[in-house]
Amino acid sequence: MISNTKCECGHQNRVGTVLCEACGKPLIELGEAGEVLEMRYDGAARRSQRANPNFIDQIWNFFSSVKVAIYLIILTLLGAMLGTVFPQVSTFINLQNPEEYYKKTYGTLGGIYYSLGLADTYNSWWFILLLVMIGSSLVICSLDRVLPLYKALSKQKIKKHMEFLTRQRVVYQGPILERAEEWIRRATPVLKKKGYRVHSEGAALLAEKQRFSRWGPYVIHIGLIIFLLAVLFRGLPGLHMDEYVSFPEGEAKRIPGTTFYLKNEQFTVNYYSEKELPKEFQNTGKMLPKLFQTKAVLYECTSSCEDPSKTPVLKEVARHDIEVNKPLDYKGLVAYQYDFDLTPKLRSVQPVLVNKVTGEEYGKFKLDMMNPKRSYTLGPYTLELKNKYMDFMLNDDGEPTSKSPNPNAPAFLFLVKGPDLPKEGAQFIYFPKQIDKARFQQDLINEKLGGIEKKLDLDVKAMSDVDFAKSTSFLNIRMDRAMPFVWTGLAIVMLGLVLGFYWTHRRIWLRIDDGQLTLGGHTTKNFFGLRREVVSILKPLGVEVDEKSLDNGRNQE
Amino acid sequence: MKKYRRPVQIVILLLVVILGGYAIGSAVLGSHDRLQVGDKAPSFSLLGIDGRVHHLKEYEGKAMVINFWGSWCKPCVKEMPALQQQAEKWKDKGVVVLGINAGEDEMTVQNFAEDRGVTFPILLDPNSDAVRDYNISPLPTTFFVSAKGNITSIHQGELDLNTLDSQIGQLVAP
Repeated sequence: MISNTKCECGHQNRVGTVLCEACGKPLIELGEAGEVLEMRYDGAARRSQRANPNFIDQIWNFFSSVKVAIYLIILTLLGAMLGTVFPQVSTFINLQNPEEYYKKTYGTLGGIYYSLGLADTYNSWWFILLLVMIGSSLVICSLDRVLPLYKALSKQKIKKHMEFLTRQRVVYQGPILERAEEWIRRATPVLKKKGYRVHSEGAALLAEKQRFSRWGPYVIHIGLIIFLLAVLFRGLPGLHMDEYVSFPEGEAKRIPGTTFYLKNEQFTVNYYSEKELPKEFQNTGKMLPKLFQTKAVLYECTSSCEDPSKTPVLKEVARHDIEVNKPLDYKGLVAYQYDFDLTPKLRSVQPVLVNKVTGEEYGKFKLDMMNPKRSYTLGPYTLELKNKYMDFMLNDDGEPTSKSPNPNAPAFLFLVKGPDLPKEGAQFIYFPKQIDKARFQQDLINEKLGGIEKKLDLDVKAMSDVDFAKSTSFLNIRMDRAMPFVWTGLAIVMLGLVLGFYWTHRRIWLRIDDGQLTLGGHTTKNFFGLRREVVSILKPLGVEVDEKSLDNGRNQE
Repeated sequence: MKKYRRPVQIVILLLVVILGGYAIGSAVLGSHDRLQVGDKAPSFSLLGIDGRVHHLKEYEGKAMVINFWGSWCKPCVKEMPALQQQAEKWKDKGVVVLGINAGEDEMTVQNFAEDRGVTFPILLDPNSDAVRDYNISPLPTTFFVSAKGNITSIHQGELDLNTLDSQIGQLVAP
């Protein structure tokens, strides 16, 4: 079938050419002989169509097939459906044992679902493989068609084969009385007025408009490829982050994996009053939060960032009151309000040293819970911090130790030196929290340690000398650097859609043979509109014609 | 134009193979969030109680035992002597034992190390950076890292002397 590629007009066509590249004479009958012509890609051969395809050609041909592309899309859709059966693992925060969770929550089916890897469908190798194949198909299909089409459209012959004209979907044939060249000259301005670009050659004419709309589908494909690449490479390091971080009030804390620090200056939670609650909730003891708000300041580290032995230098870059659905957004780094904890956390106290005998007071010194100073000089006394226990308890051997790293029941062991004390000093334990003093019997411990509790004491004079982190705010820190590419891709897709939908590529061929006018018209869509246009073009030229009679509906009955 | 066709085809197919292979490869290898045996040990740079910053890089080429601990965690305290003993035993064979403290301050950790006679490097992780990178949930957790920097075994919970000895033995054995 594809052996004879030379047209009767003398043009040598490429293998697979449907309509002669020069005169438009049908070379291969795709439908029944005499039907309206198949005008896809203007009848040009797809690039990959060859007489003897080799291995690379075969791969290329596989991806260049629209049929294959459709199957790939259907498979991908089916695969994507599987991922919607049960929640995906990526939607859980801190799921320790996913396999057990799926079995327990969704039964045996859940277990099978998990073991098949469907709990992470969209990151599975086969799903990514399908996306990669769709991507390849997009690139190859487009290249294979757009280049021949471009060539076919940019070197069109004006005089086409008679059969090419009479087998278009819009056809008119009729006699004219004038000389052919005269008629063509008269037709030119009429066509130009309708926005056509007119090329004529003797007794033949080609009028064409809005050719650019032919590139719409390929523009869509470029957009889709950008979109796909962005989605596939979203996981590259540094492009994507989704972390949950706790921020105690008043401390600048580093956002892991970045050079940014975030400080929760103040966290507020307001509840609905009893009156504001709906009737069903009143007097049920339900507490419904009205507002969570974190007054956040974002800093960027400018130097000494990676050296833990130095204090990082921070520069404020953004400030925002984070509320639910009102995240802080700084250059794509987004912090959402996620949760909170109202347990206060002791940060530091500022006690004074009291001489119980004379009533004299020394100091006020700052005792931090984390990294406190090791020694303090207060009047004639020196206090050397020997040890500290954040969550004080006595172990089985009766030794002081810490139950947890959190300052729930902090205790500080000092070695005190000064007047009226032994030369080598005396030990003194101090519980900053009043409740712990009683609970662990500070005086009794001190009596055993050396008995200076009768002479000296540490005392916090005012609540203002106690520093608390009143609450902790949990923020969800997200970054998605691939998003701008996703949006760009989608914008290009939209542009392509507009090109293809709102404009149509219209062409009108005319030839006059011995006083007989033959007109063929083609458009990418809206043949009705084209017929109407042809009528209004012919009318001022003295050819009255009925719109319906232009319809070459050979294959429509 | 015609003579460029073949190279263009090959370039496009190669790009598909490279980009697609990378995407699929990272989906297969990088899909799990938690650290697993065979993964590269995540890098860290942490301040030690010796006042020096320790990087994972500087121990490249040495087999490592990385132990995450806290002074409040009883099994961590219990296994410390075993770790100390093994650190001394395998020192000459190029095995490094590192202790990473989970979130306590310098004083607590220093006092602890002095009291227990711990001499192998102890690092501080005040912001839980390493704890996060190593996905630590229970303490203690111990990672055995080969000289190539790959995790060969992860042990959660207390280690006894014998297990520790045989694990390090396997680590050093070629």
